[in-house]
Amino acid sequence: MSARQPGAAKHSQAMFFQQRAGDKVRNPVLQQALQKARPLFVGKRAKGVAALAEDGLDGERLRDACAEIRHRALADLDVWLTLFEERALATGAEVLWARDGEEAAALVVALARQHGVRKVVKSKSMLSEEMHLNAALEAAGIQPVETDLGEYIVQLAGETPSHIIAPAVHKTLGEVEALFAENHGRPQKSRNSADIPEMTREARGVLREHFLSAEMGVSGANFLIAESGTAALVTNEGNGRMVTTLPPLHVVVTGIEKVIPTLEDFATLMRMLPRSATGQSISNYVSLLTGTRRSGEHDGPQKTVFILVDNGRADLLGSDYQDMLRCIRCGACMNHCPVYFSLGGHAYGWVYPGPMGSVLTPLYTGIENALDLPQATTGCNQCGSVCPVRIPLPKLMHRLRETQVERGLRPLGEGLAFKAWGWLARQPRLYRLFSRIAARYLGWLSDPAPDGSRGGRRIRIFGLAPGWTVGRDLPVPPGPTFHERYAARKRV
Amino acid sequence: MRVALYVTCLVDLMRPEIGFAALQLLERAGCTVVVPEGQTCCGQPAASAGQRAIAVELAKKAVAELEGFECVVVPSGSCAEHICNGYPQLLADEPAWAARAQAVAAATRELSQFLVEAGTDFVPDGDFSGSVTYHDSCKGLRGLGIKQQPRELLARLPGLKLEEMSECEECCGFGGAFSVKYGEVSTRIVDRKCESIADVGADVVAGGDLGCLLNIEGRLRRRGDETTRVLHFAEILAGEAAK
Repeated sequence: MSARQPGAAKHSQAMFFQQRAGDKVRNPVLQQALQKARPLFVGKRAKGVAALAEDGLDGERLRDACAEIRHRALADLDVWLTLFEERALATGAEVLWARDGEEAAALVVALARQHGVRKVVKSKSMLSEEMHLNAALEAAGIQPVETDLGEYIVQLAGETPSHIIAPAVHKTLGEVEALFAENHGRPQKSRNSADIPEMTREARGVLREHFLSAEMGVSGANFLIAESGTAALVTNEGNGRMVTTLPPLHVVVTGIEKVIPTLEDFATLMRMLPRSATGQSISNYVSLLTGTRRSGEHDGPQKTVFILVDNGRADLLGSDYQDMLRCIRCGACMNHCPVYFSLGGHAYGWVYPGPMGSVLTPLYTGIENALDLPQATTGCNQCGSVCPVRIPLPKLMHRLRETQVERGLRPLGEGLAFKAWGWLARQPRLYRLFSRIAARYLGWLSDPAPDGSRGGRRIRIFGLAPGWTVGRDLPVPPGPTFHERYAARKRV
Repeated sequence: MRVALYVTCLVDLMRPEIGFAALQLLERAGCTVVVPEGQTCCGQPAASAGQRAIAVELAKKAVAELEGFECVVVPSGSCAEHICNGYPQLLADEPAWAARAQAVAAATRELSQFLVEAGTDFVPDGDFSGSVTYHDSCKGLRGLGIKQQPRELLARLPGLKLEEMSECEECCGFGGAFSVKYGEVSTRIVDRKCESIADVGADVVAGGDLGCLLNIEGRLRRRGDETTRVLHFAEILAGEAAK
């Protein structure tokens, strides 16, 4: 896993996390968008999960069941994938395999060329972002059109999704209105008259033409159901139905980890997936796509091709990080992440943001290419406590930090400082002396008290840890340490 | 009961009053309190940074100092969490240490856990009067299940009014080294906490982890709030806050 330099690395900007984070924190428009979205996500999930009780279900036990299903599927991944392939072939679909994103994109382009495709309509797929599919299609002279509203907005803006289920969450209404005016050839409306339902109708009108004229539809799959060779698609906008049924050729691109054994398993996972994502008890559309159009049927593609992509996943099997493959891409971890909602998704620099991204990005693009991501966490475990499949996200980020140390990827000074401090902490007498000096030193740095004397209550600029005082004062210790005073008290 | 008080390095240096408040509360609860002499830091910063070898050494040191006590009490959810959940993991593969680490972990309690377990006839001697809003620190809350304990104890002070802020379980953005490494992000997160605090308008923000409290106090002051006091619950319970 570590020796390989994954192809995905060349597109990753994760090494610029620090700089990007600063830009994002200081961007008032972005902050406004994030501030608005966060309570909605958190509130809706809480309500959705609480509502399970109405059906006599216990959310925590359901999380256990979902984790178990995903765990079981991964434990025998080869078996379920082989079964899926066999059953999918039996329904008349084709199954192709791709080692990485580049290979997968090449397969899609080849299929498009083979079928004389000039336009591809896409429903939401984060894997297609891993594949840089739109760029590959464009390079081949084929027009890709994103049809999920958020993805459509992001495509118009020439950006990438900043959230795995709400790709345009970083945009304000005003920004989208300006974008639509520019791209739909109409005058821009004033901020107050921008109207979301009206704008949605407008986008739908534009997209409808694309649905009818595209020769190929590309979708992802939320799950692959092995026993029936089925792709399960969970969506809210109906564009997924159009993409997978209108064009004569339907290509499903999905990661190999998405397979689950049975329809029954799917039913259980569906209890948690929409609730964790948007708080819905069920999404507006749930499509189970099996095979192609049969004789006598009036809709559905004439040809269905599954492209099952590895792109780093198989390397995680049997590793310390296998649990990460349980992920069902609901977005709950980022929706509950204090860091994500301070920055938005683009700061993370690759396809997946938030806690799941901070684990996946280093694993899929190289640990040495995403050093900040597993460090940029408060360890609060707000992610781990909402994950519907109980992925221990903080533990995995922690394991990545250990791996950075083991592989000598941390700055030299950091390692030395820890060594020195670790040694000092094992010499209690010296440590006491050191803390006594530190307490005085901090007192000496403090602002003057109102009467002008030393002994104020705060430090405004702290050279040893400037990151602290960039936004906070450092309260000043009162002087003698606890152990100093306690020893004095005992002597009395 | 003979209990060991593990003061924590942060309390030792930054706010010794919390240590003495804890000492006073434990004695009031009828304990014979020992402050093990060699104690320094539990090693959580090293563990968290992935410096496993250093974390293991410090875990062994603390286990050797703390074993043999009926109970080890820590006035910090995050240090207690490291001893309870971190030590057994760090030392799991060392036969000579695994059982000892588990024994210390099993005997370790965060201060509010210990005082609640001590029974309802424990009445703190603080005479605080005013309104308090409580910030739940992450490690204590999600790692040890500390939620009702400090509230229950604070409610035993007749003059104290608990006023919950919105999102009291949200992380304050401290995260140890995170607060220094990613200062701007950390500041953005604690800003949201400060807004919740400002909205509820209590006299005091209380918590059980000095790291979080320093973070919150530091940001409140920088924002210009000079009046909201930021206290460890032990300071309120022991009556130090009245001084």
